[in-house]
Amino acid sequence: MVTSASAPAQTGIDARRLGQIERSDTLAVRNSRLAIGEIIAVRIRRFDDSGGAAAYQDFQVPYQKWMRVLDVLNWVTENKATDLAYRWCCGSKMCGTCAVRMNGREVLACWEAAEPVMTIEPLRNLPVIRDLIVDRTPYESKVASLEPWLERREPYPQFPEPLNHKQMKDASKALDCISCMCCYSACPVIGLGDLTDFAGPAPLVQLGQTALDPRNDPGKVTRSLALTGIFNCVSCYKCEEVCPAGIPIVSRVIEPLKAKAAQLVPGMAKHSFVLRDIVAARGRVDPGALVLRVQGLRALANMPRVIRLLLRGKINPWKTLFRIKTAASAAAGRILGAGVAK
Amino acid sequence: MKFAYYPGCSARSTCAELNEATHLVAAKLGLGLLQLESATCTGARELRAIDPVGFYTLNVRILALAESHGLPLMTICNTCTLNVLDAHAAFVSDRELAAGVNDRLAEEGLRYSGRTRISHFLWVLHENIGEQRLRELVVNPLTDLTVAAFYGCHITRPPLQYGFVDSRNNIALEKLAEVLGCRPIDYSGRNECCGFHTAAHDERVAIKLTGQHILSAKTGGAQAMVTPCPLCHTVLDGFQREIEKDVGQKLDMPILHLPQLVGLALGLSPDELNIDRHMVPAGTLKAYAAVASKGSRR
Repeated sequence: MVTSASAPAQTGIDARRLGQIERSDTLAVRNSRLAIGEIIAVRIRRFDDSGGAAAYQDFQVPYQKWMRVLDVLNWVTENKATDLAYRWCCGSKMCGTCAVRMNGREVLACWEAAEPVMTIEPLRNLPVIRDLIVDRTPYESKVASLEPWLERREPYPQFPEPLNHKQMKDASKALDCISCMCCYSACPVIGLGDLTDFAGPAPLVQLGQTALDPRNDPGKVTRSLALTGIFNCVSCYKCEEVCPAGIPIVSRVIEPLKAKAAQLVPGMAKHSFVLRDIVAARGRVDPGALVLRVQGLRALANMPRVIRLLLRGKINPWKTLFRIKTAASAAAGRILGAGVAK
Repeated sequence: MKFAYYPGCSARSTCAELNEATHLVAAKLGLGLLQLESATCTGARELRAIDPVGFYTLNVRILALAESHGLPLMTICNTCTLNVLDAHAAFVSDRELAAGVNDRLAEEGLRYSGRTRISHFLWVLHENIGEQRLRELVVNPLTDLTVAAFYGCHITRPPLQYGFVDSRNNIALEKLAEVLGCRPIDYSGRNECCGFHTAAHDERVAIKLTGQHILSAKTGGAQAMVTPCPLCHTVLDGFQREIEKDVGQKLDMPILHLPQLVGLALGLSPDELNIDRHMVPAGTLKAYAAVASKGSRR
């Protein structure tokens, strides 16, 4: 039970839930928002025929019982704009083709209730082909480059192979992925384009399906992980928030993959090892020591900021140079393994 | 009401003003804080990936320290909060892990039984002090001060865990700002990420991400931003000169730690709250608060 960590106290208010009721985000309120026949104001982002420039087009759609975003799109194509382009196939949260952004959040059109006022846009971070259809190529080629398959170099120990649910617990979460790319659209680091070599949440989930499988060849997993830029993940959990398959992408896919990378390609996780050493030696993080040891000479490029930090008393070079033994450093040394320098 | 208080590394180094402000504000609120001096770092985002057992042990040790005093735990850093929440959840759901961690803790006579209640200062304000009491304590309402609430990630996500709801619904900070007399603004950055966790090896991500958020707060008319997390503060405030260079315009956006905003409304002076220790001078804010405390506004 985790109740001790979430139970409200004294005022009876649960601060973590503040806003859910105020912003009408409960199931009961959502379901009672629209009556049959009421008009939904829909604004859809479209490419106009002449120059290919993006523009929004407004539609008035009469609400029908249990109308989803997909039903709204279907109504618009059948009645108002036969040329509206959007993808869908199964209509039941399986095929992952109908993801769009509705009122600023990534949703599956087939699995999201219509809202009284809706702006529907294509996913972000991918080129738009037309209207709501994005080009999946950048994602697909990234996935292919990561070679997301099992490779076996050793003969099987026996048949059936000994494999239990605990060994497969993370890979099995990743296997729930329907490749809808909601997470790819929500990821802020992917939003920065080529600034980093981060593969992005969706390709990492695809990789996790086999890289987190204990039967996979470590050499093959090493090659794949080296291409992921995985330590550029900022751990914001935005991907988890939009995942229609409910995959805990950060905690059950990216973090276990990071752990594998630290093991197989330690160079990628340099800063993590530095932080661990610093905490083991000092009990706490000394920001000066961390930046100096991670960035080395590169840190000198930041001299103006270092001087500003010094002037405001935000960093203390004495503390960085001479560490003092404290109860915290003794405990951290004992737990993380003492004897690590600096 | 008494809490075992865990400030975390930032509030003991680059954001020392946050720790000081928290103690001052707690005294005004009638909160007793027992600072856990021997507590270590919670391992940031780094340790959990490379040494999960070490990560759990450090965090459970903090929970065990609080438990040994029979007190709930109060944090003031988002990432520390999520780390102890994660460790607590792993501890209570995995017996093997729990036994292993307690074995390690036994070396210094500590033991965790899974009873520590974890709360962030923002939650304490709502859950333990409450709107009504807070209104009574506000002696210097910050009338018309427009603030942009910047939540940060780790006290609002992962979704559907630890009582978190869709983070886009959050209003805890805005509600609080209203109680203090401020006018919270709506803007696109309110529940976005500051990029701190990759800044140690590549600051460009943090600079690019945060630039958009500060710009949007500025466009929305914010005179200041307020954040419950010192890591967000480090990027928003500490990197703001570099951010200005990147976005190609002057921002001059003062960034306040949550307890500093509360403190101003409770009658503490900007000097007491060390607002000058920030990289972006909060001059306008200071004048505002000073004039306000004399009772003649502007």
